[in-house]
Amino acid sequence: MTIALPPEALRRVRRLERVWEERQGVLGWITTTDHKRIGILYLFTSLLFFGAGGVEALLIRTQLIAPNQSTLSPAAFDTTMTMHGVTMIFLFVIPISTGAFGNYLVPLMIGARDMAFPRLNAFSYWVFLGSGLFIYTGVFTGHGPNAGWFDYVPLASRTYNPGPAIDFYALGLIFNAISSTAAAINFIVTIFKMRAPGMSLNRMPLFCYAFLAVSFALVFALPALSVDCVFLELDRRLGFSFFAPGRGGDVLLWQHLFWIFGHPEVYIIILPAFGIATSIIPTFTRRRMVAFPMVALAEILVAFIGFGVWAHHMFAVGLSTITTVYFAAASMIVVIPSAIQLFAWLTTLVTGRPIFKTPLLWIIGFIVFFIIGGLSGIMFAAIPFDQQLTDTYFVVAHFHFIIFGAAVFPLLGGLYYWFPKVTGRMYHEGMGKLSFWLTFVGSALTFFPMHIVGLLGMPRRQYTYPAGVGWDSYNLFETIGAYILAAGLVLLVVNLVVSYFRGAVAEADPFGGATLEWSTSSPPPPYNYAVIPTVSSAYPMWDVEDRQEDVRKLNRGEMVLDEGHETPASTVLDANFDEILDMPSDSPWPIVTALMITGIFAMILTGHLVAMCVFLALFAASLAGWHGVEPQEA
Amino acid sequence: MGVPRSMEATYDSAAARVDRGRLAMPNGWWGAALFIATELTLFGCLIATYFYLRFNNPHWPPPGVEHPKVALPLILTAILVSTTVPIFFAVRAARAGNARLTWLLFFVAVLVQGGYFGIQVHEFLSDLDKMSPHDSAYASIYFTLIGAHHAHVVVGIAIELWVLWKLFGGLTNYRMIGVRVAAFYWYFVSFLAVAVVLTQIYPSL
Repeated sequence: MTIALPPEALRRVRRLERVWEERQGVLGWITTTDHKRIGILYLFTSLLFFGAGGVEALLIRTQLIAPNQSTLSPAAFDTTMTMHGVTMIFLFVIPISTGAFGNYLVPLMIGARDMAFPRLNAFSYWVFLGSGLFIYTGVFTGHGPNAGWFDYVPLASRTYNPGPAIDFYALGLIFNAISSTAAAINFIVTIFKMRAPGMSLNRMPLFCYAFLAVSFALVFALPALSVDCVFLELDRRLGFSFFAPGRGGDVLLWQHLFWIFGHPEVYIIILPAFGIATSIIPTFTRRRMVAFPMVALAEILVAFIGFGVWAHHMFAVGLSTITTVYFAAASMIVVIPSAIQLFAWLTTLVTGRPIFKTPLLWIIGFIVFFIIGGLSGIMFAAIPFDQQLTDTYFVVAHFHFIIFGAAVFPLLGGLYYWFPKVTGRMYHEGMGKLSFWLTFVGSALTFFPMHIVGLLGMPRRQYTYPAGVGWDSYNLFETIGAYILAAGLVLLVVNLVVSYFRGAVAEADPFGGATLEWSTSSPPPPYNYAVIPTVSSAYPMWDVEDRQEDVRKLNRGEMVLDEGHETPASTVLDANFDEILDMPSDSPWPIVTALMITGIFAMILTGHLVAMCVFLALFAASLAGWHGVEPQEA
Repeated sequence: MGVPRSMEATYDSAAARVDRGRLAMPNGWWGAALFIATELTLFGCLIATYFYLRFNNPHWPPPGVEHPKVALPLILTAILVSTTVPIFFAVRAARAGNARLTWLLFFVAVLVQGGYFGIQVHEFLSDLDKMSPHDSAYASIYFTLIGAHHAHVVVGIAIELWVLWKLFGGLTNYRMIGVRVAAFYWYFVSFLAVAVVLTQIYPSL
């Protein structure tokens, strides 16, 4: 885009480059506050954890390939299965969706130059990394969490689970919640306040609606988990009585608080996938989303209703009938906003002119799996059905269709879709399609037979099973499916790695996308946009006049904001241009502060209270360092 | 265009002008509002747990544990809540560009809050002598809930001390937002104090 620029415009671009340039090398990555670099850090870290969780999945499937196997010992199986769940949910899906996709794309889509709080953003990443390493330290020292991802007491209590395994879990999740809460707050303020002038709420991309809903759900759901884990630690470490029935406590308290977090969590996992689907579908069908306001409201509504259905995870624990009936009815209501979105995607596909490139294939796979997983999901709202099948493989089948098929497929499609934007290279289309089909077939083969073994009565979390009960061939198919699935994922990684080095050079907008990120170069410059765009519809890239006006503004020097590290802030509803903000640039404080928090948690775990207080003081000192230099003094 | 550059507000009257000229609340205020939202949820979970456990126990507090005091906690809470008055006027002074008055009002608030905290620590320790969280779920949630509130008072005081320290150099846009956030946080801690104290004295009502 620098080809035909007149000299003044070129001078402005040069000045922006100078102002926004960050340090190179490792130090640059450690101190970065650029949302794109932080997004990439999140991406690689969460993909590493995805690898770990995937290996754990393959170990589980290998153990269950045939009856009476002993690939894993019973204790190792417990840890592997717990860590598979913890890793995939807390260290892969949430970080890759909010941390990687959200971080990289939300500021670009709303025409901002960074997140609202760039240093807090870096802090979220380093705390996430610290919490992941913290939990995995438990695994590598032989104390991996082993009471299942929802960690029910009394199995998780000190009596039945001595040793630090559960402490790694409880402290690790509180630690992780700090990161997710900080990130969620950052997203909400970014989406509310940093939108380009003219992008009123009704013109905001549906992707951002999904992330807004996710962030609100995180803000209100995570405290329940943190409180629960604090209770558990107080019980385990200081002998409190929250979960001790003999002393007035109650084990169901754990389950209530866990699922008050845990069910919104399901929508936290899947809403980013909805957001990605609503980005990819319009691009490859060449038409606007059907029922835009309905889809936006449905995204918010899913997150909202998610807070009122938690006890449907507890139908088998003996709650009163009136309670279970309420929660069964509430759970069925979730069907309505889900179906609104589903039919909006389908109608958009059917009435558009779909081009079946790799990203769209993943979205179609997602729709298929979402329908299957959704149908098995509403079955559980029928209380007798749930009581019959709870804790069987039918549940495992249901939530893998939702969490892998429906939540992860769009993430993988999104990896292909935005790969040219992030790297400036094109992926290989043929290999991309092959990786999709392998993963699709592998997933169906892995997870579909689980319905049947579940109906046949195979309990989940079982270490092994006897021969001759009719489960053998299904389990064999599942294990074969798991390896095909893994092959598809490996092919995806190979495709992207090779394309990064050898792929064809990508233009700014290789797919004719609708949202603003496609208007800047691939990869985007550190300042994102030379001119802060002005927006007049929800599909700003299809408003050709507006984008030509951006170029004219660069020549005139309007909305270039090149006097410092600057970006505009707007009003919340209408996005009227309100203020020019001076953003902080690279800073060592986020990582230092995160290190001190890591120290605090490590010392709580090992019981060194004096050392913990030292880290607490250092934490306060690093916060003072963080706030000691104000933006205008930098 | 009349849109202010926040970085240029480096002295009292400029910071006040920028603050009054905004159409929307500043980013820092929104960040604080959402942080407070998660904190409120956290206390919502704690208070919900209190009543969940209460309705799972026939005796509340359990036999042998004395009922909580009523008068002293209520008086202490009233004192804490009264500090929102100087804080309210501190924000008005800051928004009028008067850094010295802001400092003075925050200083008054922090003195009272410090005294409140001292008495509360004493009360907390004497309660620990009377009952132990090892013995009952009642004592467990009692100490957890009240301890969590005290921790928030400490954080609030720490934020105020930081604001007091920064205000020696006069107001800037950054500090103006700091003043407003510190005040917002104290309104929240005061609201919590009422919710927590009503829960605390509930068995004696």
